[in-house]
Amino acid sequence: MLDIKDLKVNINDKEILKGLDLKINPGEIHVLMGQNGAGKSTLVKTLSAHFDCEVTDGDIDYKGKDLLELDVSERANEGIFMSFQNPVEVPGVNNSYFLRTAINEKRKYNGQEELDTMEFLKLSKTQLAKFDIDKKLMKRDLNDGFSGGEKKRNELMQLLLLQPELIMLDEIDSGLDVDAIKTVATVVNDMLQEDKNRSLLMITHYDRLLSLIKPDFVHILKDGKIVKTGDYNLALELDSKGYEGIGINDEIN
Amino acid sequence: MMKLIDLKNIKFPTKKDEEFRKIDLSLLYGYEFKEKKDHVLDFDVLNNDALSSNNELYKINQNLDAKSYELNIVQNTDEPIVIIHKLNDDAVLNTSTLNIKVAKEIQASVIEVFVSNCQNSFYSVNRTFEVEQSANLNYFKYQDIKESNSLIINTIIDLKDKATIEHSNFELGDGVNVNIYETALNSEESNLNINGLVRLYNETKSSSIFNTYHNNKSSFSNINFKHSLHDHSRAVFEAKSIVNDGANFSKVLQNSNTILLSDDAVIFAKPHLEIHIDELEASHGATVGSLNQEQLLYLRARGISDTKAYEMLLSAFENEIYDNIKDDKIKEFITNFKRSDYV
Repeated sequence: MLDIKDLKVNINDKEILKGLDLKINPGEIHVLMGQNGAGKSTLVKTLSAHFDCEVTDGDIDYKGKDLLELDVSERANEGIFMSFQNPVEVPGVNNSYFLRTAINEKRKYNGQEELDTMEFLKLSKTQLAKFDIDKKLMKRDLNDGFSGGEKKRNELMQLLLLQPELIMLDEIDSGLDVDAIKTVATVVNDMLQEDKNRSLLMITHYDRLLSLIKPDFVHILKDGKIVKTGDYNLALELDSKGYEGIGINDEIN
Repeated sequence: MMKLIDLKNIKFPTKKDEEFRKIDLSLLYGYEFKEKKDHVLDFDVLNNDALSSNNELYKINQNLDAKSYELNIVQNTDEPIVIIHKLNDDAVLNTSTLNIKVAKEIQASVIEVFVSNCQNSFYSVNRTFEVEQSANLNYFKYQDIKESNSLIINTIIDLKDKATIEHSNFELGDGVNVNIYETALNSEESNLNINGLVRLYNETKSSSIFNTYHNNKSSFSNINFKHSLHDHSRAVFEAKSIVNDGANFSKVLQNSNTILLSDDAVIFAKPHLEIHIDELEASHGATVGSLNQEQLLYLRARGISDTKAYEMLLSAFENEIYDNIKDDKIKEFITNFKRSDYV
């Protein structure tokens, strides 16, 4: 599904990713771990074409297409979804209108009929009811005045309605209580179960989410490169021993 | 054939006048119009203009002997009174003078639409609003004058005790457009609200000048304009509010927000407060920026195209002015408005 080769990325003329390789096959769950500044967020931001990231070298193949040739919205409509670490507030844009527009843009991209208001409401009701997600957020303006938890729930709503093929979660568990983390895990596990070709790339610092969403691969990033890869046991080892304990020295900054 | 500059006893403002530093009307003053035409309204005719003005441009209509009409509203209006002004003839100097008067404790709504279907014409409009004690006037102006035409609206507002005017403007045309407001809040608890959405394209120029005097206690004024400026358009926002002795406990607000959507678009925003008392609440501000890149990215990252995301954010910015309109019937009019129905 995703094949990243020798990726080099600058932010503000500073090289953050320094030749990163990563391959994600359909149905796989990958986790990126690493100390602050290692380049985890830069990788997912690069994959979703964030304007901060300047790709200076390397290739990214996504479903047989050159990802670097696609713009932000094309990548989203090709099935890439990045959950933002700090979703921006957009006063004046109604959340429900935003979601319906996003769904219809994707449907249009895929040559499908657009949903009218009633069809959209029906779809959202069905999807959100499965996970007991409060629909009240739909009536408000996009992330406007939302608490940290509400913003993350709103990201989940978008995830559920847009049904992406590659889900990227950037520290979705930060600032969430135990129950909210369980809801995230339930939604994501259900989506992965529903479509066996759907893949997940997530960034987290904590074992709590990983105990609920079991990864196939755990990658440790250091200084813009993946320096160690293992299975879930690597995350457990990291949790108990810390970075130094598994041979990753803090010499980045 | 006639030129404005030939009119007697008018000292036409030039760029040397403080409020007109950024407004150049010299081409308009010197343009040779083939005739003059007075806009006929089905209202009572007044012998004289109801109020006098310090605004020299107000004198154009008086000088041309334009008829002064009066719309005297003595009953609550169930539906807004709609007045359509459509300029049809090329190179004509058009005039319109109307005094809108709302009787004591009456709730009224008035809509005026200014559109054009011609070239090189000029419309000189004088409006006075007299709102009696505890009355409320919701007024909405929709301006869509096309390129090469000019429109100057001189407005005088007179509010009695506890009277309120909710004055909203949509400035959407491609022509030259100047609005000059003079308001003396001489009565207690009088409320002045002026809202404006200025959306300009191409070479359009639009200027809004406000002179507001707080002369009695607990008077309120709020001037709130949003500009979205594309291409080579330019807008001027000059708001001066003076709070004099005797206007204790007044509240004075001025706000101009602008989004520049092109490197060549220009805004001159000058909110200005002159305060001569201690007991009051006042704020003024002007912001200028472009669309928020983080917000654009967020929408696009959910598959929304660049153009659509841009439109959504711009509407969100502009809709605040629409949301501020308190009369639902006026909102309904705006929602259903089609320019093609009028030209």
